Amino acid sequence: MRFCSSPAGGGKHNSGLPVNTENEEEEEDKLVEYFRAQIRGDPDVASAVAAIRSLLEFLRRDQSETILGLRENMTQAIRRLEETDSSVAVSSGGELFLRFISLTSLEHPVRQHCTQSSCSARAQPSIASLLADLSQCKNVMIERGELFLKKISLSRGKVGKLCHTFIKDGAKILTHSSSRVVLKVLENAAADNKRFTVYVTESQPDSAGKRMAQKLRKLNIPVMVVLDAAVGYIMEKVDLVIVGAEGVVESGGVINKIGTYQMAVCSKAHNKPFYVVAESFKFVRLYPLNQQDVPDRFKYTADILKTVKDLNQEHPMIDYTPPSLITLLFTDLGVLTPSAVSDELIKLYL
Amino acid sequence: MPGADKETDLSERIESFLSELKRCGSGAGSLRGSAETARETTALLRRITAQARWGNAGELMEIIRKEGRRMTAAQPSETTVGNMIRRVLKIIREEYARSRGSSEETDQQESLHKLLTSGGSSEDNFRQHFTHLKANVIEAINELLTELEGTTDNISMQALEHIHSNEVIMTIGRSRTVEAFLKDAARKRKFHVIVAECAPFCQGHEMATSLCKEDIETTVIPDAAIFAVMSRVNKVIIGTQTVLANGGLRAVNGTHTLALAAKHHSTPLIVCAPMFKLSPQVPDTPYNHTKLKSVDTILYIHILSKVNAHCPVFDYVPPELITLFISNIGGNAPSYIYRLMSELYHPEDHEL
Repeated sequence: MRFCSSPAGGGKHNSGLPVNTENEEEEEDKLVEYFRAQIRGDPDVASAVAAIRSLLEFLRRDQSETILGLRENMTQAIRRLEETDSSVAVSSGGELFLRFISLTSLEHPVRQHCTQSSCSARAQPSIASLLADLSQCKNVMIERGELFLKKISLSRGKVGKLCHTFIKDGAKILTHSSSRVVLKVLENAAADNKRFTVYVTESQPDSAGKRMAQKLRKLNIPVMVVLDAAVGYIMEKVDLVIVGAEGVVESGGVINKIGTYQMAVCSKAHNKPFYVVAESFKFVRLYPLNQQDVPDRFKYTADILKTVKDLNQEHPMIDYTPPSLITLLFTDLGVLTPSAVSDELIKLYL
Repeated sequence: MPGADKETDLSERIESFLSELKRCGSGAGSLRGSAETARETTALLRRITAQARWGNAGELMEIIRKEGRRMTAAQPSETTVGNMIRRVLKIIREEYARSRGSSEETDQQESLHKLLTSGGSSEDNFRQHFTHLKANVIEAINELLTELEGTTDNISMQALEHIHSNEVIMTIGRSRTVEAFLKDAARKRKFHVIVAECAPFCQGHEMATSLCKEDIETTVIPDAAIFAVMSRVNKVIIGTQTVLANGGLRAVNGTHTLALAAKHHSTPLIVCAPMFKLSPQVPDTPYNHTKLKSVDTILYIHILSKVNAHCPVFDYVPPELITLFISNIGGNAPSYIYRLMSELYHPEDHEL
């Protein structure tokens, strides 16, 4: 068996920054291609799920021989994916996957090859058994990764089932932009033979609201598209507001398409319940205190980040809604109050 | 045969409990107050565990769930019945996990962490048989019963921390927990109590008479005067029928008005509620789940032929209006209720 003596994960400069060898570049290009193919093939899939699937594929193909090397490769790959799709969901999915690798490797420790002369020759594990350890660890990771993927593909269904009981007959619902989770919730409610009307905001600059309206019309749900500026006007007519989320932050607030914060403030002023529906893999370890605190890499699309010099001239695509404006969060872990979200995150990361 | 006798005896008791529940809605049954209902339910569940025929934990849980569904259907507004059933189901799960020797009894909840680290063996159908499971479960239910008996005392013990001399306290209707709370404080402090009478059944009158017997200065006011008097009140202390999962309340009608008046005057609103009143229900719409009482006790009988009269029994109070919950395990903020709930009930039991 050939023993590769170079440290896995690309050659390291003396400064400590990893530099990609050509092999790594190729691997990462393939990864990005795989990711894009996932999204093209199934437009309904959540971007975090597609990211995790691609990372699992990357894990299968990875050739590193130590856990550290594996982690470094993964971190590089995640950074590359974030450059392709700068949404919060991809970032949270990537961080979750990295956490998953750490947790699994802690449970199935790989013995280290001891190079110090103080170790006795007998105590040193043979190279073959080290590699066997690593491949066993990787097999466990891949198996668990598949299980994890299967579970999170079901999360949207779970959220839909939880939330649709909150929609009463004759309700008027306001939603923002296009969210696949909200669509699933409304689908479930319609399948339950409930009659309700939906108002969707147009959601400029990409008019995502009009796409949402088309999808709702296909489900025979009466829908009306309103201007973003008309949220205050329409708020007195609606009974409840349901929005999706790109990311749920530690404080219990959400990051979502620009215009969500406005809608939340209006609904608070009119005393209407403001519900957020999100899957649990969107929980992210950020704690913004105001709009400026949200990192720039999430606010703008990946292309703008690469090409534009002065970001102050650009319009952000997302905003942050603080937890005080949110009534309840519907996730696949159950119905949570905003204060319960940080509990969940602590359970995971501590 | 002794076996068949036990079974018929058991089903007789269950039937009589169900008819008690149905009658207690109209005030005619002998079960008064949620504490008694909770105790009776737990005692009945202990009897079911002891006498019904079951081979493993899964079968026992099925039996309890089935009986539980019938009990909650008999009197849906009496949520303590459902709460006790969920507590017992959680006890069974814990004892089963302990018998199996697994150390994950603390982490029964769904969480992100569990999603990531489970190796696919999380489907636990409780099919294994353990000889000591019955004894363990019955012992745990006995502990639960002891806890239930001590709840009112535990709450009253905290009274002195919250009530100070020469304070004016407002309450509404009649709550046994608040009564005991105030009486305990009255042994050492002198304060005034204003009771809103809570029409149309005017239970506030009984509360006032009972407090007077302990030499507490009491004033009775009509419900319409709540806002007017609120500026002179230092604290509002109320009881409730149910505490909901989001920290809100389902309490006697008039409580929402009281809570809004208190918020307007920035008066703290304290809710005395024992843990068995905590229910995993979430209010789907704040104005929708009304139970109506019959109106023949109301005085305007002569116009009933011409108008519709509605008399809702309960009010929903949203969590933003509540300052503190005092329960038998101490004081908590409304935003912490979700945590207490996750310790009491297993998420799969939220729907019986």
